[in-house]
Amino acid sequence: MSGSRAEILQGTLDLMVLKTLAGMGPLHGYGIARRIEQISDEALRINQGTIYASLVRLMQKGWISGAWGTSDNNRKAKFYSITKSGRKQLQAEADNWERIAAVVGRVLRAAERG
Amino acid sequence: MLACIRTAASRIRVWLSHNEADSEFEQELQEHLAMLTEENLRRGMAPEEAVRVARTRLGGVTQLKETNHELKGLPVLETILQDTRYALRMLRKNPGFTAVVVLTLALGIGANTAIFSVVYAVLLKPLPYAQPEQLVTVFQAKPQEGVMGTGWSYTNFVELREQNHVFSEMAGSQFHQLTLTGRGEPAVVNASVVTPELFSVLEEKPLAGRVFFAEDGKRGAPAVAIVSESLWREFFGADPNLIGSSINLDKRSFTVVGIMWGNFRFPQVTESKQLWIPLVQDPLFGSWMERRGGHWLRVIARVKPGVSMVQVQAEMDAIGARLGKEFPAENDGWAVRLASLRQMMVGNVKSALLVLLGAVGLVLLIVCANIANLLLTRATSRAREIAVRATLGAGRGRIVRQLLSETAVLGLLGGLIGIGLAYWGVHALSSLLPESVPRVNAIAVDNTVLGFAVLLSAMASFAFGLAPAWFAANSNLQASLREGGGRAGESGNRRRARNLLAAGEIALAMVLLVAAGLLLRSFGKLMAVSPGFDAQHIVKADISLPQFQYSKPQQWTAFSDELLRRIQARPGLQDAAVAVPRPIVDGFVNLGFDIVGNPPVSAGSSRTADYVSVSPDYFRVMGIPLMAGRFFDAHDNFSAPRVAVISEAMARHYFPNQDPLGKRLMFGFPPDGAAEREIVGIAGDVRDVALGQEPGPMMYVPYTQAPFWGANLVVKSTLGVAGVGAAIREEVRRIDKDLPVTDIATMPEIVDASVAQARFRTFLLALFAGLALLLAATGIFGVISYSVSCRTNEIGIRVALGASSGTILGGVFRETLMLALVGLAIGLPCALAASRLIGHLLFGVSAYDPATLGAVALGLAAVAAMAGYVPARRAMRVDPMVALRHE
Repeated sequence: MSGSRAEILQGTLDLMVLKTLAGMGPLHGYGIARRIEQISDEALRINQGTIYASLVRLMQKGWISGAWGTSDNNRKAKFYSITKSGRKQLQAEADNWERIAAVVGRVLRAAERG
Repeated sequence: MLACIRTAASRIRVWLSHNEADSEFEQELQEHLAMLTEENLRRGMAPEEAVRVARTRLGGVTQLKETNHELKGLPVLETILQDTRYALRMLRKNPGFTAVVVLTLALGIGANTAIFSVVYAVLLKPLPYAQPEQLVTVFQAKPQEGVMGTGWSYTNFVELREQNHVFSEMAGSQFHQLTLTGRGEPAVVNASVVTPELFSVLEEKPLAGRVFFAEDGKRGAPAVAIVSESLWREFFGADPNLIGSSINLDKRSFTVVGIMWGNFRFPQVTESKQLWIPLVQDPLFGSWMERRGGHWLRVIARVKPGVSMVQVQAEMDAIGARLGKEFPAENDGWAVRLASLRQMMVGNVKSALLVLLGAVGLVLLIVCANIANLLLTRATSRAREIAVRATLGAGRGRIVRQLLSETAVLGLLGGLIGIGLAYWGVHALSSLLPESVPRVNAIAVDNTVLGFAVLLSAMASFAFGLAPAWFAANSNLQASLREGGGRAGESGNRRRARNLLAAGEIALAMVLLVAAGLLLRSFGKLMAVSPGFDAQHIVKADISLPQFQYSKPQQWTAFSDELLRRIQARPGLQDAAVAVPRPIVDGFVNLGFDIVGNPPVSAGSSRTADYVSVSPDYFRVMGIPLMAGRFFDAHDNFSAPRVAVISEAMARHYFPNQDPLGKRLMFGFPPDGAAEREIVGIAGDVRDVALGQEPGPMMYVPYTQAPFWGANLVVKSTLGVAGVGAAIREEVRRIDKDLPVTDIATMPEIVDASVAQARFRTFLLALFAGLALLLAATGIFGVISYSVSCRTNEIGIRVALGASSGTILGGVFRETLMLALVGLAIGLPCALAASRLIGHLLFGVSAYDPATLGAVALGLAAVAAMAGYVPARRAMRVDPMVALRHE
């Protein structure tokens, strides 16, 4: 980790994108990036471009789909939405994540006490 | 798994429509930027500020596009294509460089491929029989008497065949020539005299008819023969009714029962006009079948599947011991030995071929070092280009990949031209190869050889591409960019690497030159050796007498007397004689003997000498000098007392400080085996076995007292081989129109052919060494030239400051000589090791011959000095004003 800005692991970003799309419905790249920044209280200030690598990966796995549409202020933009298998994957990944987070937390607490 | 496939499918789809996908992504990014800008404007930024901040938030558009491209498409394939295109463009831009690299590489690959094709055909290619790895030859050996491998008697063979449990089948064979008559011109055919099992051992089926049955091998069975396809086509005009009809061999009738298909050959050495007859039907060997003792039947066997060679050897040892106990007179002290069929066929050619392969491999190494050096030099002047690419975002791996693709393209081009050269080289080699090399007919550029060439090119391009790529990847970007000009980035490491490569080339060249020098000196000594006879103007010819018709020794003598009388009566052919065996031509017959009055030799040692039966004029015709006593004359006939002439070596060895004249020897062939022969003369020594072998003891007997079923002629005449041949044919036909005259050749030709293998390997190794020298010289020239041109500036300053041109010249010279010395220092131990490896190929020269080593070292230093001289002169003439403005 460098500075106060959290660096995010590749898989983590994918998970966050999935979660965002699951919660918000179809969004374009800008929307997804903004949403992640907002939710994390601007703690994660990513180069917004990195979101696109994540989107390509998720598309290739078939967990999200993309289609061109029109944005709120009438711009042409590509909207991404989560697919059925994406939701399944999200559930699995989220469970997994929580389990790991719990384990890591326990280990850290144990280390503090010891 | 499914996800994997989906990813791959998506990648391929995108790659196929990649322009569209790229522009779509660009649009997406543009929209994203626009949204970010709007957001910033809403926050109250000035328009320019808003765009700038938006760009920072999004990240570098080019880089994003690049990443996206890599993720979506097939980046590896694409980079390779792109790199190849780029590499071809770079190589086209430097045609001189490309030509030098491609041509030297082609030379290296071509030479290696050509030599490999020979090695592959002779040493590696499966023999053309079913499961050839199961085939072994079984022979008897008596190492305590120096007999390392010889054949069997038929009776022993039968015991061996019946007692063993490790072979699925065994067969015996011998080989000699028979006269085929009855259809047109009489012809001499190569007859394989075999036990009926031969074809089942080899698991061969005939083209037509049948192979031999066990009954064909029994005494009293009708005489049958199998002919080869080539004999059937050439001699019998592809007669469809040949099977079942009879042919005459040595004037005896045989029924043809089968035709073997064209490629079947056994033994390998005989190529054409081959036929097979059962052992029992052969006029010579058939009569030996009941005799115990003797070692004449070559035995081949097929090992049962799943039986190891160790088991086979163990069983052979047991049987050998049993034979020794049961028949001690013939078998005591004899061991049974095994060798794979290939080992037996390849014999002594193997080591010479491997030496050549090693030599040509060294040449390729030098080629690689040379090319690596050229590439390093070029990479240095390209350092700036590479630095710019790195700054623009090319990763280290990407740059290495691109440089390696350049060398791969070079390697591929070199390999392609090299394969072309190899085709030509194999053609040239096939015609150069001595006839005694086995399996010459199998030499070809086939798929395996092509595969070898391709693999070799790939390995070579990797070898010479690695160093430049490594240096490029590790160069200091900032330094390269700052230094500007074309000379940027010449680090000390890189110079050291180049110097080391050049010194390595000298070392490798030294190894090859020393080896070639030793072989050349050996060959020179071999050619300078006197064989003990004068081969000039001697023509030889063979007449073989059919033994069914000429069955008695008196007939043989009568024939040769009559023939010699007729030939000598012709003008210009007075010097004619017969001899069996003739030196170098016929091999040798080594025979044991006793000296009458001396105690018999103690067990474990033996008295032997090479036996020759000659007509009286033989010594005069061959120019063999008389040292004492007399030669034979017409009075030494069958009814006269037995006499012998011995060689000087025999006199020296067996009669030290005595006069051998008048002493009596006991030797000979049955029925004359125990005849006492008085020594009447001493003749000069003759190298009868090989030019390279010291003359051993020899004993001559008069032909009339020890005749042979044929006339092996030597005629000294200035009429030329065609004239002499025609005269001999004419006279033979007048005596018996069915007798063919074969193998008419001049003696110098035959002596020459006997050293053909030595000449061949010497010539090739000298050729490779010459190539190596040339390559090493260009390598040094390149390094010194480059070093001088890098230091033009420095030299200019030194000249301006008053350094004399001599000092400058000396400096460059010192640099050259240092390279040469380092190379020689590395090369010397390698050369010594290499010459030990070729020690067995040397004749009359020590493997550590100081003269050769010294000459090679001096020669290499001189060549290095010459290679350095041109750039040194250039350095000397540097104009300080020009040099100072150089950069």
